[in-house]
Amino acid sequence: MRYMFHSFRMLMKSAMQYRSSLLMQVIAQVVLTGGELLAVTVLLSRFHVVGHWQAMEIMFFFGVMQSSFALTELFGRGVAAFQGFVGRGEFDSLLLRPRPLLLQVVCSQLDPRRVGSCAVGVAAIVIAASRLEIAWTVGKVLLLAEVVLCSMLLTLGLFMIEATMCFFSVKSIEMVNVLTYGGRSTCQYPVDIFPKPLELLFTYLAPFALCMHWPVAWVLGQPMTALSPGWYFVTPLAGLVFFLLMTRVWYWGVRRYRSTGT
Amino acid sequence: MRQLMTKWRPYLTVFRLRALQETQYRAAALGGLVTQVFFGLVYIFLYTALYAGSDPQALRDTITYVWIQQMFFRMMFSNDGELTNLIMSGGVAYMLVRPIDQHRFWVCREVGGRLVGAGMRMLPMLLVQLLLPVELRISLPDSPVALLQFVLSVGLGVLCLCELTSIIDAINMKTLDRRGISAILNLTMLTFSGNVIPLTLFPDGLQTLVRYQPFAQALDASIRMYQHAAALPEWALNVGVQIAWILILRAIGRAMWARQLNNMIVQGG
Repeated sequence: MRYMFHSFRMLMKSAMQYRSSLLMQVIAQVVLTGGELLAVTVLLSRFHVVGHWQAMEIMFFFGVMQSSFALTELFGRGVAAFQGFVGRGEFDSLLLRPRPLLLQVVCSQLDPRRVGSCAVGVAAIVIAASRLEIAWTVGKVLLLAEVVLCSMLLTLGLFMIEATMCFFSVKSIEMVNVLTYGGRSTCQYPVDIFPKPLELLFTYLAPFALCMHWPVAWVLGQPMTALSPGWYFVTPLAGLVFFLLMTRVWYWGVRRYRSTGT
Repeated sequence: MRQLMTKWRPYLTVFRLRALQETQYRAAALGGLVTQVFFGLVYIFLYTALYAGSDPQALRDTITYVWIQQMFFRMMFSNDGELTNLIMSGGVAYMLVRPIDQHRFWVCREVGGRLVGAGMRMLPMLLVQLLLPVELRISLPDSPVALLQFVLSVGLGVLCLCELTSIIDAINMKTLDRRGISAILNLTMLTFSGNVIPLTLFPDGLQTLVRYQPFAQALDASIRMYQHAAALPEWALNVGVQIAWILILRAIGRAMWARQLNNMIVQGG
């Protein structure tokens, strides 16, 4: 943990050296996520409802997805950009150091410009929450924190699939973007508006529904399942399980790693 | 005629070279194909849920709109970092001594890459359509005339996008950082060209504004022709707007290029 905080502090310091460039990049991210927010707003102003969801409920889902995804990109840059490590042959030097491998990868990079996307996501949550009448309790706030944390782990797990692919093919593998960025675009809407196959995919295979939609739907007072409320604190753990599983897969890939050399 | 040929030869050559080069990136094309089909399907499911059976014709039009946007996605962006590389490495000096019109040379290069790149993704995606259930498929064009208008308009759309990119390139020449202002412009382009959501779904009161802004000239204008063959006066207006924006963007781009090239600092040697 101390190693992690130290690395992140140093990376933050180095990013702050180019303040105006960083500022521009943060603004670019605000425009990017703002564009998506605009798109959702335009759609909702035309259609008002999606299935049984009201406009502001959709906005809430959008906010949770965007902010947790942005946080993953912020802290998980090392995993998301893992291809660079292998491609440049830098992974070898990590293998030599006496620190946990995955921890080193995560701590190697930070992507501070994602603060912009995250801010837009949080703004969407705040706007939606202020329009909706949610009976807030301590439990619900804690649950929301758990949802964000577990969704981050799930997303990180998805990025790790891409990272594992790097061991086998050094060239870029855009196709896996379908899982990560496709997952974000799809699951910023609650899964139950989509046809069955897609819903099942994002409930059990890449469990965004378990992690995010089910508990959030309960927080909004529109439960998607007949589970008793206690269960909503359990289902997000699917994200943790997914992450641990992908960690095993990644380490399995590491054993098959051959250096590209320098 | 002969003189004209000689004058245009370098530009045609770079067009052809870039087009050839693009055909080498088959894996990228395949990756793009999978991604674009996936995103297309997700958007279509979303719109199906949004319309909820209320307006079948509007839904069909939206589905067609989404597919055409996905098919021509490669047209939107440059994947060519060559110019910044040249500047950073000092190779730009060689570029500058060539007796050619630099702006036109780069625009032709872009057009070549994008036309071929888009074609390589579009054709397999048309085949994919045959595998899909009818309700998820792209519709046929309104009429043969509509198809003709569409094809012509896509050609103008590519030109328009490449002129826009030349402006972004000029900004890159100054900042040497593709992630700042130029990224913002690129992202604005994505939203206001109708890729994220169809421009036809923007509020009705804003439609005039939305459809005549420069980013809409890329594909939105063409898709509208595909769906409704326009009568001559309306067609002339729409094509006229496309051409007008091309000329305006081109004038801006050329001015910016001239300025940047005059103040170019050659780095390294």
